[in-house]
Amino acid sequence: MPGTSATPDIEIIVEDIGGGGGGPILPPGGGDDGGEGDDDKSPHRDWSATPRQYSTAIALGLVAILMFFMALASAFIVLRRGSGVWVTVHLPVIVWANTVVLLGSSFTLETARRRLSLADVGGFRKFWMVTTILGFVFVAGQLVAWRQLVAQGVYIASNQASSFFYIFTGAHAVHLLGGVGALVYVLARKFGETTVSRSTAAEVASYYWHFMDGLWVFLLALLYLGK
Amino acid sequence: MLNDDSGANQLESPRGGFLSRYVFSTDHKRIGLNYLWLALFSVFLGMAMSLLMRIHLVLPGVHLPILSSLGDSPDRFAALTTLHGSLMVFLVLTAAPQAGFGNYFLPLQIGAREMAFPKLNLLAFWATVASLVGLTTTFLIPAHPAITLWMVSVAVFCAASLANALNFSVTTIDLRGRGMTLPRLPLTVWAWFINAILGLLIFSILLAACVCLLSDRLLGTHFFSLLSFIANQPAGVIANAVPVLWQRLFWFFAQAEVYVAMLPCFGLVTHLVSTFSRKPVWKERLVVLSLCGVGVFGFCVWGEHMFSSGMNPFSPLVFALLASSLGVPATILLISWLGTLWDARVQLNTAMLFALGFISLFLSGGLSGIFLARHDLAGAAVSDDFVTGHFHLVMGVAATFAILGALFFWFPKMFGRRLNESLGKTHFSLTFVGVYCVFMPMHWLGLIAHSRVSPGTGLASNAAASTSIRNFITFAMLLTVCAQGLFLVNFLWSLFRGEKVMECNPWRATTLEWSVSSPPPADDFGSIDPVVYRGAYEFSLPGVAEDFVPQHLAPEQVVKARQSAE
Repeated sequence: MPGTSATPDIEIIVEDIGGGGGGPILPPGGGDDGGEGDDDKSPHRDWSATPRQYSTAIALGLVAILMFFMALASAFIVLRRGSGVWVTVHLPVIVWANTVVLLGSSFTLETARRRLSLADVGGFRKFWMVTTILGFVFVAGQLVAWRQLVAQGVYIASNQASSFFYIFTGAHAVHLLGGVGALVYVLARKFGETTVSRSTAAEVASYYWHFMDGLWVFLLALLYLGK
Repeated sequence: MLNDDSGANQLESPRGGFLSRYVFSTDHKRIGLNYLWLALFSVFLGMAMSLLMRIHLVLPGVHLPILSSLGDSPDRFAALTTLHGSLMVFLVLTAAPQAGFGNYFLPLQIGAREMAFPKLNLLAFWATVASLVGLTTTFLIPAHPAITLWMVSVAVFCAASLANALNFSVTTIDLRGRGMTLPRLPLTVWAWFINAILGLLIFSILLAACVCLLSDRLLGTHFFSLLSFIANQPAGVIANAVPVLWQRLFWFFAQAEVYVAMLPCFGLVTHLVSTFSRKPVWKERLVVLSLCGVGVFGFCVWGEHMFSSGMNPFSPLVFALLASSLGVPATILLISWLGTLWDARVQLNTAMLFALGFISLFLSGGLSGIFLARHDLAGAAVSDDFVTGHFHLVMGVAATFAILGALFFWFPKMFGRRLNESLGKTHFSLTFVGVYCVFMPMHWLGLIAHSRVSPGTGLASNAAASTSIRNFITFAMLLTVCAQGLFLVNFLWSLFRGEKVMECNPWRATTLEWSVSSPPPADDFGSIDPVVYRGAYEFSLPGVAEDFVPQHLAPEQVVKARQSAE
């Protein structure tokens, strides 16, 4: 069982769980966890203090997100194979640059975490900030890719290939924005006397971020090979 | 002393107004109860709809005072059918046994004090409410926006279910109390846990399907394009192609929901059968394995057929799936229930009656499932009464029986009062006879419709037989629905006037929720964290004074088992 830590001030770090339907389910706002100043009953609250549950949650949440994208991917494969006329959509060149940006962000994220493990909080914040900015750059780059396709007259309803391009990139961007939210959250949050340490929060966020990174590579490969 | 304790805790929880106590409370017990209220509302709404459908079926020209406009034209009738199905499947069969009882009792049974993510839990509940509102609104607006709204509501429901599933699985994995090892978990918890994992996998697929469908409708994409669909069909079925979007989505849900609805019910029934037979679950490990089997098998069949089949709604895969996947594990479960009941001193109270009713319905529904596993029959029988009778019996009614059994079992714990037993038994008998009278003749109707296809039978006599059977079904249905009034009266009366339960453990059950006062205090276990010393089903142990040993009883306490209510 977890330690009998005193404060009930627990934050919840849950990423959106496959929230492609209408935007991500963002982490519920901070604040004390329904606790009504029951500090005197602190031994009762130790159920919620384990950092392990956040790792478990993110692992299971990622499985759910993976299933979401696998469903889309299998739809892509089936429709691609079953259709007689498949209009090829040429990927805008900028998506390759975006991929480099995203891969780079995973690298800076890990650097930030290494700084944190060396107790260099300043360095951590710097690299974490860079990661966040790279995340924004990636999303902006995806928007540019969309604009380029639209300029070519390729819309979401043009053909099945373009539909899949927009759906894949759109759903991925929505999930990635959830990740950016988590990055900003870790950056802005004051980890004073709370039970969730900065390293736990950074670890959980990093799982999500690397997963989004790998997922993008997978989706891009799928789109590229399925041309 | 216990009453004092609970009184003190009661005083402490109702701080703040109505909103913080009922609407924005993150307490797992409050959220669980809210789900149950939601399910109660939906089940009566859904039942009223089915009654309306049956009345329009036998008396097409009848004009009911207010309701006549609701189901008289073909598209309104179809809307009625869709809405009846969505309400019952989503908000009753999915919400009540898993989210309702699960939220309330999962933390209590594993010795946690809360779900892992209480705020996420609250969010999921209100998303479910939003989806109920959306689903019901579809009935009142024109068809085109209604279909879109229906899909959005379903997508919201998927997201809520995902949040729920995440919460359940993390809670079970990480928040178990001291000594609550996996083999000591009650089977209800096992069922909720496996169901949560299953839900995590399939609801995200449903969500993806909803996203594609919505983008087809709103953005003009062609994921489920009519043209490519017709091109893949044999010539005969093109006439039916208009509702294709509906059918596709429907079969997604039909495949997944069978398991999501049934798994917690298996757990609940096993729990009830063991408790009221005063015997351990027969082959408990095997039961856990077969619960896992239902989950794994269900998921594999679903995943395999989903897109690789080209999502052909007319293929008989659903029936092959129903029969085959509920085959081996279901037989093991059935044998375990019978093995537990064998030679037992069975306590026939209402909760146990409903559990036995579940077994009976599950068995008879399962038998007709074997017929449906035949591909040649299933191909012709997609939309006829045989199937309607089959899945209502095995999924709808059986699951409802499990929910009712669980309600009678846990009512004293949730409200500190008992439901009236004699009213409950009357309600059970009427409902049990009633549902057999409603759904068994439906099987006959289906068979008659098929015999009409074969040459050499008199059409007129068949038609006459069908009409009289239809009338009989509607009549039986009317009586069954009226019998539910009995339940409503019992429920509401017992809520305020029912016999008070003074002791913690009126059923002499073993699991942790019975070690606390009724209703449980706000922080579930008071000042001491519960410790678990044994498995969940230690009934009728030799050499022990009482015929049950609660999980929280330390070995040295067992001898003086008379004070076990501590």
